[in-house]
Amino acid sequence: MNQWLRQRPLALAAGLVLLSFFLMALGACVGSTGLQSVREVWSDAVSQQIVWDIRLPRSAGAWACGALLGLAGAVAQGLFRNPLADPYLLGSAAGASLGVCVALALLGASPVAAPWLLQLGTTGAAFVGATAAVLLTLTLARGVQQTLRLLLAGVVVGVVLGAASSLVLLAQPQLMQAMQGFMLGTTALVDWSACVLMLGGWSFCMVVAWTLSPVLDGLSLGENTALSLGLPVAPIRIALVLVLALATGTAVAHTGLIAFVGLAAPHLVRALVRAGHARLVLLSSLMGGALLMGADLLARSLLAPQELPVGVLTAVLGGGYLLWLMHRQNPVVVGAKP
Amino acid sequence: MKTLVRWLALLALLWTVGAQAAASATVVDDRGTVVSLMPVPQRIVSLLPSLTESVCALGQCAKLVGVDRYSNYPPSVRGLTPVGGGLDPSIEAIVALKPDLVLVATSSPGIERMRALGLRVVALEPKDYPSAVRVLLTLGDILGVGTAKAVVQSMELDMRAAVAQVPATARGKRVYFEVSPGPYAASASSFLGQTLERLGLQNIVAGTLGPFPKVNPELVVRAQPDVILIGDSNADAMQSRPGWDRLTALQARRVCAFNKEESDILVRPGPRMAQGAMLVARCLQPFYGAAPASTTSKAGAP
Amino acid sequence: MTPALNAQGIGARLGRTQVLQGLDLQIEAGRWTSIVGPNGAGKSTLLKVLAGLLAHSGVVHLQGQPMAAWPARQRAQQLAWLGQSEGAGDDLTVWDVALLGRLPHQAWLSKPSAQDYAEVERALRQTQAWDWRERTLGELSGGERQRVLLARALSVKAAVLLMDEPLVNLDPPHQADWLQIVRKLVAEGTTVVSVLHEITMALHADTVVVMAGGRICHQGPSASPACHRALEQVFDKRIAIHAVSGQWVSLACTP
Repeated sequence: MNQWLRQRPLALAAGLVLLSFFLMALGACVGSTGLQSVREVWSDAVSQQIVWDIRLPRSAGAWACGALLGLAGAVAQGLFRNPLADPYLLGSAAGASLGVCVALALLGASPVAAPWLLQLGTTGAAFVGATAAVLLTLTLARGVQQTLRLLLAGVVVGVVLGAASSLVLLAQPQLMQAMQGFMLGTTALVDWSACVLMLGGWSFCMVVAWTLSPVLDGLSLGENTALSLGLPVAPIRIALVLVLALATGTAVAHTGLIAFVGLAAPHLVRALVRAGHARLVLLSSLMGGALLMGADLLARSLLAPQELPVGVLTAVLGGGYLLWLMHRQNPVVVGAKP
Repeated sequence: MKTLVRWLALLALLWTVGAQAAASATVVDDRGTVVSLMPVPQRIVSLLPSLTESVCALGQCAKLVGVDRYSNYPPSVRGLTPVGGGLDPSIEAIVALKPDLVLVATSSPGIERMRALGLRVVALEPKDYPSAVRVLLTLGDILGVGTAKAVVQSMELDMRAAVAQVPATARGKRVYFEVSPGPYAASASSFLGQTLERLGLQNIVAGTLGPFPKVNPELVVRAQPDVILIGDSNADAMQSRPGWDRLTALQARRVCAFNKEESDILVRPGPRMAQGAMLVARCLQPFYGAAPASTTSKAGAP
Repeated sequence: MTPALNAQGIGARLGRTQVLQGLDLQIEAGRWTSIVGPNGAGKSTLLKVLAGLLAHSGVVHLQGQPMAAWPARQRAQQLAWLGQSEGAGDDLTVWDVALLGRLPHQAWLSKPSAQDYAEVERALRQTQAWDWRERTLGELSGGERQRVLLARALSVKAAVLLMDEPLVNLDPPHQADWLQIVRKLVAEGTTVVSVLHEITMALHADTVVVMAGGRICHQGPSASPACHRALEQVFDKRIAIHAVSGQWVSLACTP
């Protein structure tokens, strides 16, 4: 079966789409009130609200967030030709955290003072923080000419912004628990408008990444080879970095820092099929969406009515499957060597 | 005495404001949102332990249908449906309980989400004495009970009784209250600091450092507090800190170690403030003599 | 006749080291030129400068036009470069890799044309990689991989082909195959420039450029005695060039 699958990336795509629909249906049935809400959905207004306004948007939001992270992971790994690359590389995670930290601190200090801040909310603050951090990285690295410099700038920005977050937390230690919630990530607060936003963001990023994917293929043979083939490497790199920032920022703004999805999704796809970057980017999205949706389901159902942090479950699911794949006698498992 | 006067003046102001608000059938919560008082809530979900205690102090415990996992007083609320924590509420569980009032802290995520789902959400967060009183009065308006003022008055009486329990020789003594390992101390501007000030004690950590600053252990050694107040799980580790064996408070074993229940009482700015003050007062008695001894204080780490 | 590549006053640095300075070089069109020299002579750097891949001072003309004046796509159609292995691309199939060579001829995002497919097949057959076109790069040995990368460079069908150490990992039969391919290309009018450290192979070329310490010591026909003396000189007389069975061969000398 594995050999058969390797040649057919579109079969994997179809499989993942089917899986996602199935998980969505399951998602409507799982929660603190269990199947009872589904049975009463036609008769009881509250059950209807639970299924349509809470469970379904949450599952859909989990898919959208996972798709965004999977996309960002595939782009990051192609851009940096490094299988350890994840969407949070260029300081976006630290930037989003700092944004949320500052927003919480200001809200705590004087919640009535800045109505625009209340409007923007922690969601907007996370997005602004993530994007600003990536732009800062780009400025520090003075463009995208050298991969190594870009990565180093990302590390520096991440560390410095992380220190800034720590300073804010030191001044206001009561925020520490709230920040912990953000760092672990949660899909609990996703509603339909957030879903629409995330899906819109995903569609845009998908189109751009698909269009620019030939450059990623060319880059996989080396930077000089790509240049010698006449590919406009530098401007397209910038475009891809911005796609990375947009996808990551959108995801983080709505669900916090969910780890591992962006790292694992491309690896899982590559372990199952062989594909160039155009297909890889799409499949990675689908895989990330299914992964996060599954993790969200388990988070809700394992210890119902209590909920587990979804970040823990993505690590267990994604990491566990990768470990199993690595132990099989399959020589071609991990992706491109640097 | 100055604190008392200030406090009473604030009380008077709040009473008039509260009366006005009740007349207009809306109330402004701590995030500035205007919330309607009608209809009077019958099913309440509380996501903050101090708010749970406030509701029960106002005699409306029976109306609680769900609480967060940290609410544990009075014991009757432990049987209620848990709906997650204040910082990670389970939206679905809350909605399933069909509440007509949800009480949250101002920093709670999900306030907008719950409002979008049609729930009446009121954000109140008591952080110190004046705000704890204000929250009680506001809650009284929201719940449509007239007992709030009486509750506040009896709290004040209990507080004065606690102050009276402090031995005369203990007044003016310098104390250090460690909240968690770090060490994080409760400064004079925190809620705990205000309790200590009301009891006539001096805090070695000034309020200008923020409510819960992370202090340098050297500060404590130099300041040589007369009494150390700490949670009992952290008390043993104190001995091994470098230079702390020189502390006279440790040598003389003037350490108040509070267990989990007592820590809860002390830390929550709610209706049990006076009980918290009483805990501290009773703890000081063995060290400074006078007043009848009680069995609730511990003599500190061996 | 206009030289295929004309480099004037080239200076290039790698990091802090000035690798090339004041270098002039003309590559004849339709000929095979081989650049040889000791390690660190700057051969790869020079090749990258000629390919327009490295920042440098001075000017390089491609087919009579300054490199800067060439639009990227047109330049990629005129000039193909095969470097020492940089990236891995382990997941791409042999077919996909060879097809990448056709990128300069494809409009952005368009499907490959019938001609693209034909050229890819031709290139893969030439390097005898056609039979494993479905395998991924990661499954191949070093030599097999090198042949696939060569096929990628060949499929560009450029007028100028620059190759940096193309014989790495290739066993003697395949080195002989490579020689055949290059001769055929030159006969068709392609300009070939190769950097080789195998002197014997380099002596099969039409012209040999001898480099040492960032400068060109000698440039001339490979069969001339002056060229051979220059080679022996630049390698500190540790080699000797002799004729064996009608070919020039470089033999290592033990003192």
